[in-house]
Formats: sequence, structure tokens, C-alpha cells
Amino acid sequence: MKSTLPNMVLSLAGIAIVAAAALAAVNSCTKSKISEGADTARMEALRAVSPEFDSHNTTTGADGLTVYNLTLGDTPAGTAVETFSDNGFSGRITILAGFDNAGTLTGYRVLQHQETPGLGAQMDTWFMPDAGHGMVVGSNAPLAVKADGGEIDAITGATITSRAFMEAINKARTAIGDER
Amino acid sequence: MKASRVIFDGIIRRNPTFVLILGMCPTLGTTSTAITGLSMGIATLFVLVCSNGAISALRRAIPGEVRIPAFIVVIASFVTILQMLMQAFVPSLYSSLGIFIPLIVVNCILLGRAESFAARNNVVLSLADGLGVGIGFAGALTLLGSVRELLGKGSIFGYQLYGADYGALLMVLAPGAFIALGFMIALFNHLTAGKHA
Repeated sequence: MKSTLPNMVLSLAGIAIVAAAALAAVNSCTKSKISEGADTARMEALRAVSPEFDSHNTTTGADGLTVYNLTLGDTPAGTAVETFSDNGFSGRITILAGFDNAGTLTGYRVLQHQETPGLGAQMDTWFMPDAGHGMVVGSNAPLAVKADGGEIDAITGATITSRAFMEAINKARTAIGDER
Repeated sequence: MKASRVIFDGIIRRNPTFVLILGMCPTLGTTSTAITGLSMGIATLFVLVCSNGAISALRRAIPGEVRIPAFIVVIASFVTILQMLMQAFVPSLYSSLGIFIPLIVVNCILLGRAESFAARNNVVLSLADGLGVGIGFAGALTLLGSVRELLGKGSIFGYQLYGADYGALLMVLAPGAFIALGFMIALFNHLTAGKHA
């Protein structure tokens, strides 16, 4: 086709319209599936970190953290907080932390991070109870790594990530403290 | 020109990673394990076949002066479709590949094949070219991912061969990607030496 102005406009507009229609069609097919998937993933993470619960409602705590108030039957069954730290080695670390009614950490899951693979990225398992690096899960008070006078072994070669992790958990604890 | 010849050329003689050295950003970024490398390769293969076919079919309807924006719209649409499908059906894979899926749009392999092949050949040959180059790219990424995972984590496709603690962390990190890729390009050139007519 010759490169005249009407030709160019028509051809580009035609392609753009077809492309937009195709995208709209795929979007309408996948939209519900995508949000469903996100919900399932969130519920699965909540169940993994928290005491047993059967329903939850969501509030916003200090620092804009999302707080899930969990209930089993009619009784409160603890809290889960989607917390974060911006003081990691690389970008924001988002963690879901679960607490029981007494404020004891029952579990955590790292939802999102960009820490170094093999170093900071180990935080998803490093602080778990059976790893033996100090009591993170089961702790009742603000946490600190040994270098800062606390009781937790920092990840080898990733003290900055470990500090950010502690900060995120402590922030979650403050958020639920404010709730009560 | 036969379709089988075009496919073979795409995999070996014009291998995008080892011969043309194109698309280095996903090559280095997504090959820390074999499985992510393979997934990225297949995702790119899908977009490459679709965009080559569509651009070849449209080649007579696109005026020369606006061909680049037209190609980019076609490629970007297929990438976005792929992105939505992956998010809906394989969310865990989608989150592990992260930003690299939308970045397929700016992968120079796609525009390169559109410009130098699909815009000049018929639909069948263009599909064959997309398939060949895509397989070449996917194969290269899988190979690179396997080497890095084996040396860095002691496993292949998540299957542990020896203790992860003996792995060289360097190979999983960015410098390991450059080192492994360099050796593999050298090896590939050695093996195919004399076969480039």
C-alpha cells in the first residue's frame, strides 16, 4: 500500500481497533478468573500463617497496613497483617504476618520481594521455627537481630534484609497493638 | 525456500541467542533456573509465532512509513493477551517471571523477525520462521537456565542432584549469567564452525 496520509491513518486505525477488540474480548474472559485467583492465593496465605479461622473482615491499621481480623464461629481467632518494609536491600518487602489473640506471632509468609537470590531471598525459610535461627514465630515482643542487641540470627550475608524483615514484623505488631 | 529449512535456520544458523545475540535482557534475567528459562522461552515463542503470522498476513495492507508502529501494536496486543492468560491460568508462573512478560514487547527478536522476515514473506514461511527462532530462543534459555541452576543450586528443573550448599551462588546471580552465556556462545560457535556457508 502506498504511504499516503489517508492510507497510513486508515491502516493504523484499523489495526488498533482490531487489537483493542481482541484485548477487550480476552480481558472479559480472564477478568473474573484473575481476581478469583488472587483471592484464593490470599486466603491460602492467610490460612498458612494464622490460627484456625472461618471468617475474616478487613480493616486498615497504622501506616495504611491491611489488617485481617479473624474469627472462628463467634470468637476472635487472631489477626493477620499485610505488612511491609522499604529498608530492604532492594525495593519493598511485603510480608503477611499472623498473630493469635495474645499477640504471639503464629506464622509469616513473604508475599513479595526483590532481595538477592541465595542471600536475602532466604528469608522465606530462614526465620521459620525449625530453621533454628532464633524464635521469630512464637515471639511475643518486638524483634531485633543479634547485631542490634536482639536474639535473632541475621541471614548470613544479608543483615540489611534481616533488619528490614524485623522492621516489617514489628510494624505489624504495632498495628494490631493500636487496634486493641 | 522450504518451511522446514526456515525452521532449521531459526534454531541453528540464526539462533537468536547464540548467533544473533539478540534479546539479552530476558536471556540474562530469567535464566536463574531451568524452569523459568523454559517458561520465558515458550512465552516468547507463542508471541513470536502469532505476531509473525499476523504481520505477514497484514503486510500488504501496511504502508511502509507506518510499519514500525503497526508492528508494535500487533506485538503488544499478543503480549498483553499472553499476560492476561498467564495471570488467569498459571498465576505462580506469572509472578515468578514478573516484569519480563510485559517486556517481551520490546524484545528486539520480535521486531527484528517482523521487519526482516514476516514483512517480506508469505504467512506459512513467516509462521515457520517464528517457530524456528522461537524454539531456538526457548532452547537457548532452557540450556542456559539448566547450566546456571546446576552450577548454582545443584539441581535441574528443581530436581536436586547434589547439595545446594555446594553450589556457586555466583552462577545464580547476574554475573553468572554473563559468564555462562559467554562460554555457551563460544561452545556453540565452535560446534557450528565451518557450517556457516
